[in-house]
Amino acid sequence: MIKFHPDSNMLVEYANGALPWALCIGIKTHLQFCPTCKAQYDQLCTLGGVALADSKTEAVANDGFARLMARITGDQEIRVDHEASSPSKLEPKGEPIASQKHKLGELPSVVNKLIPDDFKWSKTSKTLKTGRLKAGQDEYEIAFHKITKGGQVVEHDHRGLEVTVVLQGSFSDENGVYHVGDFIVKQPGEVHRPTATKDQDCLCLSICEAPVKVTGLLGKFINPFLRVRPA
Amino acid sequence: MSKLHAVSTDARTDTWTEHLVKVGKSRDQVSFQALFEHFAPLIKGFCLSNTSQNFSPDAAEEIVQEVMLKVWQKAPSFNPTKAAASTWIYTVMRNARIDLMRRNKRHNNDSDGVDVDDLWDEESTLAPVAQFQKLRNEEVVRSSFEILPTEQRQALVEVYMKGKSHSEVASETGLPLGTVKSRVRMGLQKIQAHLSAKAV
Repeated sequence: MIKFHPDSNMLVEYANGALPWALCIGIKTHLQFCPTCKAQYDQLCTLGGVALADSKTEAVANDGFARLMARITGDQEIRVDHEASSPSKLEPKGEPIASQKHKLGELPSVVNKLIPDDFKWSKTSKTLKTGRLKAGQDEYEIAFHKITKGGQVVEHDHRGLEVTVVLQGSFSDENGVYHVGDFIVKQPGEVHRPTATKDQDCLCLSICEAPVKVTGLLGKFINPFLRVRPA
Repeated sequence: MSKLHAVSTDARTDTWTEHLVKVGKSRDQVSFQALFEHFAPLIKGFCLSNTSQNFSPDAAEEIVQEVMLKVWQKAPSFNPTKAAASTWIYTVMRNARIDLMRRNKRHNNDSDGVDVDDLWDEESTLAPVAQFQKLRNEEVVRSSFEILPTEQRQALVEVYMKGKSHSEVASETGLPLGTVKSRVRMGLQKIQAHLSAKAV
């Protein structure tokens, strides 16, 4: 059962499009798992619909509808031509090639779209693998983090906002146990040491504004070299 | 400040939903014209009074064209058991606005595989709801919004309707960020509480 959700302020900024693109991806991923937040989001859309229905009216140009229909008719002709010459439309639907190729299992559709053709895992530590994703933005690094079953990640603080959505398996830290669909927000000053549960590897979607800050002596050596690479 | 006008629910809403279904199923141009004549002036009015971008009337006219084009293109996916026409058209309009903002920021680059429709789909994934329940929910949302304390209603209009972030509203109004956030949160909680209390 999902216990960790985005707060309603974040949900409002997602619903109005003001939230950074990368965080919207995190919210959308969560919504694909969470009927409670989806219901809240749908209520916001209802509020928008009511606002539109009750909005003040402003007269539109007299030829507005004719102009639109001319455009639609033109577009349809172009589209028919395009469809006739585009064999890709006939390709069967199914699990995206990238996620099949990398044996990532079933993932929310929005996450599948983030996997680049040249996707690869890199080993960050004995227990943690990272695979960078691509979302067409330049503010946050978006990546898969995979913790091997029972594995513990080095204790770290955060230098910026970090959002994690659990996609497969589960992990725990000092504040609780996180299962599939949970949406975890970490801010600077929040130190934790994630540990995957022993039953299976834990795959998470991670959205990081700034590099983590490893605590202790190890951190002194490696922190200066940590970077985020938004894509 | 824009305000929701008290309008009682009547057969109107059903009419627009029926027109939208006809446009989707049989590409009915008479129904589409009826939808255009009703919604185009509302979309233009909403754009001129509810956006932070200060649209000129010409730009608002272009947005009307874009939104109604999308309505035509997407109408086949409209499911009348899941949303009323006004809510669905609002989401199409909201997506067009986000798309426009993103294109202006030049983020829509080469191999960007995720687009606006992937992040904000128009269709509710909730269980189908009977027409009367949907209308009732809209009426509850409308009436509970009307009776919100002014500052909570204003905060929701500024943040949600105008598409701003809480920080933008805080810096524009001089209010602490926490105050803006709590007003939005409390306003939404009240609307949700009304919906739960009136649930059948």
